Amino acid sequence: MTMKKIFAISLLATALLGTTAIALDNGPFTADQAGAGRGLYAGNCAQCHGAGLQGAGEAPALSGATFIAAWGNRSTDELYNLIKASMPYGNGNSLDADTYRKIVAFVLAANGAKPGATAFTGAEKIKIAGIADGKMPAEMAQAAPASGGGGGQRPATSYPPGRFGLTVAGSLKSYDPVTDQMLAHPKDGDWLMYRRTYQGWSHSPLSQITTANVKNIQLAWSWAMNEGGASQVTPIVHDGIMFLSNTANTVQALDAKTGELIWENRIGPAPTRAYGATRALALYGDKVFVPTTDAKLYALDAKTGKIVWQSVIEDAKEGYSNTGGAITIHGKVLVGLTYCNRYETKHCFISAYDTETGKVAWRFKTIALKGEPGGDTWNNLPDEFRQGAETWIAGTYDPELNTTYWGTAQSKPWTRASRGSGNGATLYANSTLALDPDKGTLKWYYSHAPGENFDLDEVFERVLVDHGPSKDLLTIGKVGILWKLNRVTGKYEDSAQTVFQNVFDKFDAKTGEPTYRKDIQSAKIGDWISSCPGPAGGHDWPATSYDPKTDLLIIPLHQSCVLMRAEPMEKKIGVGGDAGSQQLFEMPGTDGNLGKLAAYNTTTMKALWSFQQKAPFLTGVLTTDGGIGFVGDFDRRFRAFETATGKTLWQTRLPTSVQGHVVSYAVDGKQYIAVESGLGGGSPVGKPTTLMPGVHHPNNGAAIFVFALPDN
Amino acid sequence: MLRLHKGWGMGRAVLRVAPHNKKADWGMAYRLGGPCVLALLWAALPALAQGASAQAGATRKQEQFETRLSPSPLTDGTRINITGEGRAHAELDGNKLTVSADFHGLSSNATSAEIYDGPGIAIPGPKAFDLTVTQGLSGTVSGSVTLSSRQVASLRRGHFYVQINSQKAPTGNLTGWLLPPHADPGQDVPVAGPGFLPQFAVPAK
Repeated sequence: MTMKKIFAISLLATALLGTTAIALDNGPFTADQAGAGRGLYAGNCAQCHGAGLQGAGEAPALSGATFIAAWGNRSTDELYNLIKASMPYGNGNSLDADTYRKIVAFVLAANGAKPGATAFTGAEKIKIAGIADGKMPAEMAQAAPASGGGGGQRPATSYPPGRFGLTVAGSLKSYDPVTDQMLAHPKDGDWLMYRRTYQGWSHSPLSQITTANVKNIQLAWSWAMNEGGASQVTPIVHDGIMFLSNTANTVQALDAKTGELIWENRIGPAPTRAYGATRALALYGDKVFVPTTDAKLYALDAKTGKIVWQSVIEDAKEGYSNTGGAITIHGKVLVGLTYCNRYETKHCFISAYDTETGKVAWRFKTIALKGEPGGDTWNNLPDEFRQGAETWIAGTYDPELNTTYWGTAQSKPWTRASRGSGNGATLYANSTLALDPDKGTLKWYYSHAPGENFDLDEVFERVLVDHGPSKDLLTIGKVGILWKLNRVTGKYEDSAQTVFQNVFDKFDAKTGEPTYRKDIQSAKIGDWISSCPGPAGGHDWPATSYDPKTDLLIIPLHQSCVLMRAEPMEKKIGVGGDAGSQQLFEMPGTDGNLGKLAAYNTTTMKALWSFQQKAPFLTGVLTTDGGIGFVGDFDRRFRAFETATGKTLWQTRLPTSVQGHVVSYAVDGKQYIAVESGLGGGSPVGKPTTLMPGVHHPNNGAAIFVFALPDN
Repeated sequence: MLRLHKGWGMGRAVLRVAPHNKKADWGMAYRLGGPCVLALLWAALPALAQGASAQAGATRKQEQFETRLSPSPLTDGTRINITGEGRAHAELDGNKLTVSADFHGLSSNATSAEIYDGPGIAIPGPKAFDLTVTQGLSGTVSGSVTLSSRQVASLRRGHFYVQINSQKAPTGNLTGWLLPPHADPGQDVPVAGPGFLPQFAVPAK
């Protein structure tokens, strides 16, 4: 090749590159596409990602510096493929391709990309930072789409239309007010709170259904529940009445023997997310307490369902929510708070309200600020940039010690690099908190994962078990470490590994304090770092059950891993999110089994038995004095197993994934087992959806199913 | 009744190793407060397997490793190109490592296969060796390499992984960490203890 030819080719290349550069100034979409995308975004995306694309909770920001930080170096076809494959959340590929193209066009335009002359096809591999700077054009910012239902196609996760309020009036014939004594010593046939007892056992003393006859159980009745949003319900049963929380903060009173509806109050609002379920109601006196997804607390008259009072926990417009249910102690109803992942001057807290009036009794802030005890564990970050430590599972309670135990979630954003928290412990995130329920004062805390880095919560149930004179507390988080603490002092006693983990490489033998791998400690923005387990756990919200007869804690476990990349987070009030990109993969040594159920002796902390299966479990476990456990899974299977051996004794399949919390109760001397099939949720649903595309369940089918032995 | 993974000529080897899996109690819970017994067992188990082999009268010391090959790290957006599964088997004879695998279900033709040496189980690391792979949607992988003593130690700690790349997933389509053979009781079948539980942790402080 002559120099002349080389020069000519160079000129041509320069011209082409120049042309490409000019083309990159415009986005690979038309103004019509972006315009149409506005309404489609409103109808399908804004519920979770916000009307202004600002993101909320687990839904990342789709505009601004945070979006560009996460997506600037990635291409338009990647964005299209991701959105098409996974959105609306839990219902990937449920819209037509043209809808997805228009939504992507709108998102790009909302980040400052200018429309061009060529319609977006989804295949264009154009670097997003080359066409968008994250700055929303003023005219778009002023005309941000309404949140949900803005003229676009109704999302698959939407709540069916209907009026709110007391939609079915009725009255119980009688109602025995719930007392402290009843909560501490419930009748065998009752299920008065989230995990039945203050100790959080999820165990029923009923024994009519046994290992010998469980094969004969059959459907007694069923009841369709609200579709839309996320549903992980715990039916609450008192004197033959089932109080059932549906999505849209709908509460129903049903005859627990027949399934007949007595009253219904659709408190509302309609679900705004496909995750963040209300897991449990609480009872006290003559009232039913409803912590709602819009961060309010309602007291309903248990006999009629009418609202007696309401109290605002926190401002839902700022993204706050309640999903963890409540616990009632000494005339107070205690609730947590979640979605505290934006930079604000406010912080997450646990709070207590007078059951008669709704007046706030106390608040305990779960973030240690500057100058406070533990305030030096945040790498000197300004207070407004210390976030997280949500309480999205209701606590447990020891009446003798008059202490309530709560777990907290990780600090936010997820990674140390995004937070800027260095290797600080970020108290009181990912800790056990022991509080005085009357005053809200801290008795002790234990940090299970100081300076967590991967969305690995330690927020889940605290199970209170006595071993002789030793008063213990057991809990397990997403890392899959089963912890045993002394619940009087908070001192570490023992621990056991339940699934493979590669997050910690050292543990202090005396204190149990884990040390993160060195590459985790030194990770920077943009580094992909491995974590086993990933954000679905280990253990997640599907709760354990403690069987006192066998001293076994039955633990639902999930086995998958993640590569997580820390994304930058703009340090600015109002900005928020989790700021971690994820790639999922199979956990080594599991042979593709995401699900695992294991029984641990809580004295020895050794596993008695375990089994694996492809589908992860999505219900809490129930054990009974009949020697049986019950659990449901992602693949619609609901089974009974022998507590002592793990052997499956009976199983059936329900319309969609089996999730929520299995309970047992009795009416007129007959034992019932109640379980929900339903949809929605975060990582426990999202991760298997990604990793197990061959496992299908319908995108509707929410219902409660009640099983019992035949009458004869 | 337990059944064993079916691999490539591994039946005899697995049966040699399995009793030691039982003796060493792979399923034993990792006790954080105790000494590093399990971590040491993890590192030493292949050597125990060697000992079992010797006791059984074998003339050569061979250690077996295996893995399921599953989709490499993916997102909802990339999983369309990161599909398939397979199994890999490796045998260490002295310091000679022989790897064989089969795979199927790729979305695009396989282009290369490699052994990587990560800093830990499930932690990606640098490429160590090339393998030979069928250039297709399904096929086999094979290769034989000589390891340094450091690499042998790395293999025994579970840090080696097999990766198959493809046209549409050039940086990883199928991946599997080579671990000691372990029994697969089947779906929903309870086993005593926690089941196969690889150990990552090093001794407590």
